[in-house]
Amino acid sequence: MLRRAVLQTFRQGLAQSFFKRNAVSLSETTVTHQPIETSDEADEKSVSKQKPGDESGNTVVVAPPEFRFMYPEFLPDPAMERRNRLKEKLERIDMLQRRSVVEIPEFYTGSVMAVTVADANSPNKFARFVGICIQRGGSGLRAWFILRNVVDKQGVEILYEMYCPLIQKIEVLRLERRLDESLLYLRDALPEYSTFPLDMEPERRLNNSVVPINPLKVKLRPRPWLERWERQNLQGVEDLNLPQRFYDKAEKVAKPWEKYDLMLQYRKTIPAEEQEKIFADVHSQLQQQEFKRKIRRRRGTD
Amino acid sequence: MIKARKIDVSFLNKESDFPMKPSGYMCVNSERKVWLIIRKRKRESKKNFWVVETCVLCTSVDQPCELFFNHEQVRTMSRVKRRTTHPPYWHVLKNNQRQDEKISSDNLRFVREVIQDKYKNKSPIKGSDLDIEKKEWDPKTKRSGVIARNIGVQHMWEKDGKKVVCTVLHVLDNHVIRYVPPEEYAKSIIGAKVFRNRKPLGCLVVGAEAANPDRFTRQYCSLFNEVGLLPKKRLARFIVTPNAVLPPCTPLTAGHFVVGQAVDVYGKTIDYGFQGVVKRWGFKGGPASHGATKFHRRGGTIGTGRDKARVWPGQKMPGHMGSERRFCRGLKIVRINMKYNVIYVKGTVPGPTNSIVQIFDTVLPRRKFTEAPPHPTYFPPEDGTLPQEDIWDSSLHVFGSPSISV
Repeated sequence: MLRRAVLQTFRQGLAQSFFKRNAVSLSETTVTHQPIETSDEADEKSVSKQKPGDESGNTVVVAPPEFRFMYPEFLPDPAMERRNRLKEKLERIDMLQRRSVVEIPEFYTGSVMAVTVADANSPNKFARFVGICIQRGGSGLRAWFILRNVVDKQGVEILYEMYCPLIQKIEVLRLERRLDESLLYLRDALPEYSTFPLDMEPERRLNNSVVPINPLKVKLRPRPWLERWERQNLQGVEDLNLPQRFYDKAEKVAKPWEKYDLMLQYRKTIPAEEQEKIFADVHSQLQQQEFKRKIRRRRGTD
Repeated sequence: MIKARKIDVSFLNKESDFPMKPSGYMCVNSERKVWLIIRKRKRESKKNFWVVETCVLCTSVDQPCELFFNHEQVRTMSRVKRRTTHPPYWHVLKNNQRQDEKISSDNLRFVREVIQDKYKNKSPIKGSDLDIEKKEWDPKTKRSGVIARNIGVQHMWEKDGKKVVCTVLHVLDNHVIRYVPPEEYAKSIIGAKVFRNRKPLGCLVVGAEAANPDRFTRQYCSLFNEVGLLPKKRLARFIVTPNAVLPPCTPLTAGHFVVGQAVDVYGKTIDYGFQGVVKRWGFKGGPASHGATKFHRRGGTIGTGRDKARVWPGQKMPGHMGSERRFCRGLKIVRINMKYNVIYVKGTVPGPTNSIVQIFDTVLPRRKFTEAPPHPTYFPPEDGTLPQEDIWDSSLHVFGSPSISV
């Protein structure tokens, strides 16, 4: 999740690759810097970075740093009192087992997805829902995401647990990001921003290596709202046009010192060294699964 | 004097259904904890002589009696000390105070080598090597339990798609330290209390989590001298019948249990510290607004002025909450991982994550074993191969299998 992007401040190399990957639609020019990954990355989405060999001369395969945005649920809950390495390891094994059966694609908040679930009460025994991902959370087997759509002028949100065995298929119809991590403000926005046709076709992307950021600014309905959006520093919302007293109160209530609070950010995230270990653990299996899927897809088309 | 509502109950029928809401009030005959009690007058005298207080099910109502509804709080356990910061007085001093001994690193290394040499050869003996008298299992045997660590909670799904919260318990390196035969155990302080009116059973002392002997006192390490094992951080006693005895040095693993069986888990609950009356006892407190002055989370009245004219012992008030020993009975084992020695148990367990618990076969009569479990414990096969690494219950959906289609 994007909140873990705060680690960029600690690791320069990670920051560089993050910008490179997600810089397409940003209006401002990216900072020129020496890219660590060379043109190898242009074709492949994720290429394992080969670390220079240690004293023994063996190469250590390390997962690319994008993994913590692509698969954030592999990172455990950072609360130190509840962490246990063995349990996290066992959970990861189970997650990979489930992923070998169902493809759980890379997606972000703002992507339009379709989920097919086994439903006893449906006429076809399967229920398919299309919607935009407005929020995602949880870690391990508890990972979830919420899809929102407007059906027959009624806003509908469904929370799906990613590793639930009732889920038959998860398709990403449009892979993109938005300017905010959570799009809960769509509940107070005009319905056209949350409406997606239920028979939407998956869109093909030309440039596979970079996930586009949609700079869309959403128009909100007039007040009353479900939350005080003016206090949340939202990027993806048009000018709220509120009387000045709202912004004054928001300033009074704001906590501008939190962005300088290193310990707060440290406690909210998993240390970079541990992240590398976790993803190195998981990386080879995920790559194998992707490879097998590609072969199956090619065989299917042929 | 118990405050109660008196109702003439000459119409009572023994077979009728009465609410059996449990409370602290016990029937004398059947030891059932019931809500409704019948009080019969044993003999007519000047003072109303109340003797028999029995529940509805075991009283024959042929004469007019009175029904008592228990409106009281349970006050019997209020004087019992539930927590102490010190161990019992019969325990041996355990932990060594870290001495600031200025030992050179070479000498430290030498000390470590000595310890390793001392315990290297004394590897724990596999149970199959010793001649354990293969005693038969019968439904009345009590097997040993196991010390485990609660490493967290994992969500699993059943075959119909229903989510199930499972606690993951990591069985540590358990070894049997000592066996105390029934006659000897009945003479000890705890044993005498436990077996006051019953036939005495034996006691198996099991230890878990081997540690560096440096951190323990000599008296504590001497407990393990007989067995020749590295001293363990945790010790526990399990009551066993003589036919389920295990010789000292036997390892206990996750295979001791069977997938699908019910277990009882004993642990210390989460320590909440000093808590107010709303969180500790579930009081409602006062209104948040409407002019309430300084009365939002307080207890309110603590007694009447008339009756007894004092605060009764056991009155619910703020105080220390949590860190109490509790049992969770009848939890079903849904998965066992033999490679990592991990048990998945359906439900939750007392205590926070990473706390130590004890697991043993359930005491609940309807969920006990009908077939013989690994008795007296599970012994891995001689050639070192595991029959199955990951054993799942039949009701659970295995993660590698195809998605559920309803």
